[in-house]
Amino acid sequence: MKKEKTYNLDERGSRRPFTVPEGYFENLTQNIMASLPEQESIYSTRTTVTTWMRIKPYLYAAAAFAGIFFCIKAAVGISSRNNASEVAKAEETTIYSDEYIDSFLETSMIDDYTLYYTLVNAN
Amino acid sequence: MAMMAYDERRILEMLHEDEISRHRAFEAIVRNFSEQLYWQIRHMVLSHDDANDILQNTFIKAWTNLDSFMGYSRISTWLYRIAINETLTFLNKQKPTIPIETDEDGELSIADRLESDPYFDGDETERQLQAAIATLPDKQRLVFNMKYFNEMKYEEISEALGTSVGALKASFHIAVKKIEEYFNNSD
Repeated sequence: MKKEKTYNLDERGSRRPFTVPEGYFENLTQNIMASLPEQESIYSTRTTVTTWMRIKPYLYAAAAFAGIFFCIKAAVGISSRNNASEVAKAEETTIYSDEYIDSFLETSMIDDYTLYYTLVNAN
Repeated sequence: MAMMAYDERRILEMLHEDEISRHRAFEAIVRNFSEQLYWQIRHMVLSHDDANDILQNTFIKAWTNLDSFMGYSRISTWLYRIAINETLTFLNKQKPTIPIETDEDGELSIADRLESDPYFDGDETERQLQAAIATLPDKQRLVFNMKYFNEMKYEEISEALGTSVGALKASFHIAVKKIEEYFNNSD
């Protein structure tokens, strides 16, 4: 079958008929690396890590903890100061239905901790 | 695909390390794959300048998307996919402007373009062979070039294209038949 053909790829062999400019492959890696964007420049700004940059995350963490601490303190302070009036109100709440109280608790910003704290102190 | 003295496992580790290691690992990747990728692209787009541009873009894409490559496949597979995508995008943009076989309104055919290309040293038959390859669908061209000119094994092509060896063999066989028909018809 093949003998009938005037052209056969296997017989020709696969010579590559293309060439490249002189020295192209020798400099290719260098040229490609030189053309790469950003990542490199990001790195060069990161190389100079100052003491401030190293301490910064710890300072921020400490500030956040201090903030949380004072918030809790303030919340505890406010709720203990309101204890007297809360106790007085405890009697009044009996006139409200459980559903009303549930929906009130759901929509208000009182968390479980504050609620339990208030209840414990009310008794 | 010659991959002597190229430790892929170490390269993959280095890509996850600090940025100096990343850079060095990427340089090793470029050194190892740039030439074979260049030829793969060149056989598809034919012109050296276009092949060079697409190769640069391939590595820029690989570099900027390094984070998305988590070593789920081999580096060669990943690079070949980017290179093939870049090449096909380029060819799709170019397609309407280049007549595949004949001159139309002064537009040069592929064979005539190659004749005036300083980086093509083939004879008339080799120019015609390139013109014949250009008539194949993209996937068949890819497979044909990888097998015929780049002498890759079916297993390697399979990894690069994500196609089964059986399907690749069929693709290559069809491509060879079409090219031989092209020549037999033009004689």
